[in-house]
Amino acid sequence: MTTLLPEERPLDAHVRTTSSQTKRYGFFPGCVAKESCKELFNSTMLLAEKLGIELVELTAASCCGASVVNDTNHDIARVLNARTYAQAEALGLDDVITICSTCTGHMRAANKELKESEERMAQANAILGKFGAKYNGTVTVRHLLWLLIDDIGLDTLRSMVVRPLNGLRVAPFYGCHIIRPESVNGWESARKPHSLEDLIAALGGEPVDYAGKTRCCGFHVQLEKDGIAPAMVGQNMRMAKDQGAEAVLTPCPLCHLALDGYQADAAARWGRTDLPTFHLPQLVAFALGVPADRLGLNKHLIDPRTIMVERRLIS
Amino acid sequence: MARITLDIFRFDEATDTVPHRDRVTLDIPETTTVLEALETAKAEVDGSISFRRSCRSAICGSCSMNIAGTTALACKTPCKSVMDDEGVIRIDPMPNFQPMKDLVVHMDPFWDKYTRLKPYLQPVDKDEDHERERRVSPEDMKKLVDAANCIMCATCYSLCPVISVDPAFAGPAAIAYAYRFIEDVRDGKRAERLAQINEDYLWLCAHCYACSYCPKHVDPHERIVDVKRATIKDRVMMNERGPRHALVVNKTIKQTGMLAETEVIQGTVGRFNIRGLLKIAPLGLRMAARGKLPPPFIKPIPKVDEVRTIFESLEVPVA
Repeated sequence: MTTLLPEERPLDAHVRTTSSQTKRYGFFPGCVAKESCKELFNSTMLLAEKLGIELVELTAASCCGASVVNDTNHDIARVLNARTYAQAEALGLDDVITICSTCTGHMRAANKELKESEERMAQANAILGKFGAKYNGTVTVRHLLWLLIDDIGLDTLRSMVVRPLNGLRVAPFYGCHIIRPESVNGWESARKPHSLEDLIAALGGEPVDYAGKTRCCGFHVQLEKDGIAPAMVGQNMRMAKDQGAEAVLTPCPLCHLALDGYQADAAARWGRTDLPTFHLPQLVAFALGVPADRLGLNKHLIDPRTIMVERRLIS
Repeated sequence: MARITLDIFRFDEATDTVPHRDRVTLDIPETTTVLEALETAKAEVDGSISFRRSCRSAICGSCSMNIAGTTALACKTPCKSVMDDEGVIRIDPMPNFQPMKDLVVHMDPFWDKYTRLKPYLQPVDKDEDHERERRVSPEDMKKLVDAANCIMCATCYSLCPVISVDPAFAGPAAIAYAYRFIEDVRDGKRAERLAQINEDYLWLCAHCYACSYCPKHVDPHERIVDVKRATIKDRVMMNERGPRHALVVNKTIKQTGMLAETEVIQGTVGRFNIRGLLKIAPLGLRMAARGKLPPPFIKPIPKVDEVRTIFESLEVPVA
């Protein structure tokens, strides 16, 4: 197996940052949470309030490059992210929290390249210097999911649950870039991740195991050829549904757009699945007592409130 | 010693209509590889179990199979890394292939995709002096080494989610191997190769990194990205959706600091491609009904000039 041994994984995935002590984190929402998935941004802020942590939004940060800038020019993608890290450092923050799998993977890859190569760091700083910025390499990029488990802890979360999910059968959908490649992410095994399952269980839900959970949603090729993304969504959601899933939980808004948007188009080939998809902070915030009507659930194309009423989670 | 149970997919296309599974239990050391366990099962329990193998040391690429849910070389996989709590190892033929007999699959589609990309050197000066030495600098050679390490085991191909829904995609291995010739200074068919690989849906790679499980560290995803960069650099088929998507994303980030979803969709599909836009219109309408459409225009981020400085400092002038 080419799964990395624990000692080969990047060391900074589980690091205790200064931010994790002060509970004041740099926050990189990413483009989609500011555009078509605003409900993700809003529910993240509501969850942070509930958890008593401060997310300091890096308002001048640019797009992470979303794999596409990297497709044309590797250096630009890296330096764009160096600029974001320099902004966090200037605010005295050493932890940048993301709420998107693709942001996580690409930002961690850029950060790794910068930290591992003096030449690349010098190249980045030569450009950042043109507008008076500098990156010193002190930042760690982590996903909100990792913050929840490492900094808050599953036991604490479990004790904070005021509205347990009543055994709602939730299928985790990781989103490739939060687990692969392991040499970049490495927070958990890419082949057998279980953070989302642990979280679902801590909230009182029942995690559903299915082969599609670590597979691709097709978002990144949705525009390249018609029908590809719906087919990938249909294939994965069929597996989830066949294992008894009633809803899906994803830490990635790109996966959310694909899963929520394309199940209708996939129905002709894969049968109707109609699984409502929760953004990670929506479901956690709900269980922790944030009112359901503040979580933007009405923005989803497949309305999750139907199953929530059925399972007596809301009335 | 450990008690290990192999749970094996059994099927013979000559006689069976549906597959079944057989379980073989062995007492063997846990450090045994899955291939050694299969060899033992075949020698001692059931001689009809079929699988491919040759070198037994991760060089020949014959023994790829699906082990405990992911494809890997059986000869490189220790039993203890894949057995479940009861000591059971589930073994299936590679996904994305038609099974032939047990763990043996029909490899033809995989080879066809290689062949289409002409996986051999086509020298610049083919008709000239055959005896002449064609030298390659160590720097130029370094670019090719990773891709040239491919043993054609098809692990990446069998894990590729795009292949599973659209077999027209060339797949990671063929693209990585094409890269090995595209960047070879001795090769004279760079333009033809890039055109062919773009026709074979280079841009359908979904960036899922499933091919990062490559047992030989070829890292096909990185090679696919290399071929995309070469495509942009050489301006090959720039009016197709892939290159258009790449360019419009870069453009919106340079202008606003953000990936502007609305402009990216229009720029990729084509602002005047009425048929293309109509095809995605139903989803757009569903999103609009939920108040979920991305904004038509994006306000630039604070200090967006800095983003432009980064682009302008690093942009490589296109040929």
